[in-house]
Amino acid sequence: MIRLENVSYSYPDGKPALSDIHMGIRKGEYIGIIGRNGSGKSTLALHLNGLLKPGKGKVMVKGMDTRDISRLQEIRKIVGIVFQNPETQFIGRTVEEDLAFGPENLCLPPEEIRRRVERVLAEIGLENYRYHSPKTLSGGQGQCAALAGTLTMEPECLVFDEVTSMLDPDSGKLVLKHVKKLHEKGKTIIYITHNLEELHDADRIIVMDRGRIVLEGEPENVLSNPFLLDLGLTPPSLMDLAERLKKHGVMIPWEKTSSPSSFAEEICRLFLKT
Amino acid sequence: MQEPVFSYVPGDSFLHTLDPRTKLAAVMLLGILTFRTESFFGIGALFVFFFALTSFSGLPARVFLRAVRPMMLFIIFIFFAQLFFTKGHVLTSFWILHPSLEGLQNGLRLSARFILLLLFAALMTASTDPSAITCGIERMLRPLPLRWMGVNSFELATMMNLSISFLPILFERVERTKAAQASRGMYFGKNPLRSVPALAIPLIKGVIRDAEELALAMESRGYQGTRRTSMHELTMQRRDWIFLFALILFAALMLRF
Repeated sequence: MIRLENVSYSYPDGKPALSDIHMGIRKGEYIGIIGRNGSGKSTLALHLNGLLKPGKGKVMVKGMDTRDISRLQEIRKIVGIVFQNPETQFIGRTVEEDLAFGPENLCLPPEEIRRRVERVLAEIGLENYRYHSPKTLSGGQGQCAALAGTLTMEPECLVFDEVTSMLDPDSGKLVLKHVKKLHEKGKTIIYITHNLEELHDADRIIVMDRGRIVLEGEPENVLSNPFLLDLGLTPPSLMDLAERLKKHGVMIPWEKTSSPSSFAEEICRLFLKT
Repeated sequence: MQEPVFSYVPGDSFLHTLDPRTKLAAVMLLGILTFRTESFFGIGALFVFFFALTSFSGLPARVFLRAVRPMMLFIIFIFFAQLFFTKGHVLTSFWILHPSLEGLQNGLRLSARFILLLLFAALMTASTDPSAITCGIERMLRPLPLRWMGVNSFELATMMNLSISFLPILFERVERTKAAQASRGMYFGKNPLRSVPALAIPLIKGVIRDAEELALAMESRGYQGTRRTSMHELTMQRRDWIFLFALILFAALMLRF
């Protein structure tokens, strides 16, 4: 669906942000991208729907080159981005107006815009906030409204750029719940974060450092890789605990590290067995 | 929190359901009438017309009081300036002040005109959603050859919408910057001139960063500054034509007498 071919990008001051990135994203895949601050994650996200153009190499979205200005609108219909700060993503004065902004830019007829707004409001559970100013919503609701604003474009692929970093844990969970649901509905998800705890459900994880991909693989292998510590990334606490127990001969299967309750159940099961 | 002046009050009254273009045209016409009317009878008729319209709006009186209150000092100043500095039949004398009959008439006329303008503007903004106003302005500007000036009506409408929705964020940012500087020992009351750069520099930096992020979010959602549709479908209904006809009739009568 999306293909990056030897993509390099430098900031206007000449500082390299991305170096020789080569990757492919399949339809329906859930990809986690991790890395510390300044590793190039957000710059990479901005390349995925043509907000930034590569200095070298190319980004292809369903066969369309992001450098081709005539295809940009079509590309943005396919790939939507939800940014970190919900406050600076709101364009409309009310939640309803904000949700209509994308479809209005696609020049859809008014009845189709209203249909999409209705559907997304119900899907994200924001019906009661329809006429509220998005700025009056709580952090979690605000980020859900920002997601809803992207969903009215009906994109096939959604890029989440550190969407939970400004939220409290409960609000973060609410946003993650929506991400999971969208993936179940067949959307392609690219989830950028530095909180590794959030990536248990990903199909594949890409680790970035200094503008390069340094590690790639299934969460099971990537999240337990000791190399993460060298990159300044903290592995998920349950996985770390499982690794420590493994050294003492206690084997906790990967799928049991997804939540404290499943982890505790497994420990109890092992304990009762002995 | 106190509602801002000229804010929208949701409702479903006759005035609320009128097309924004009808209301914009009405405010313009009533504005012209207000400044053309010289007689007190005419000004009185405009006040009666305003009260008649208000009865169709279902809006509370506080909406209008809130619109006039901030300008009261200015209106009083104009009244007294006219009263004391217009030459004519002196009514009475206090010290060096000689209020005249013509001054009193001019003062009353000018003050009433300002109050009328504020009331009509408040009536429109309180009964029309801001996005509908910008949508109406966009539709009214669309036939004009704005592209010669390097803009188009869609861009102007988006700019207006963004300005309306970003003002509260700007005020919030000012407060946040003030608090951040105060927590580091800045005392704004002591030397306001010195504190301006301490407030302005981080504020401008923050606003530019916000604007950059907003531009990215807008572009990502397909904004190109070109033609776009709107969720609000503007169609002139029978009631709009009836209202405009009644308004024109009223204007003709006012200009005739």
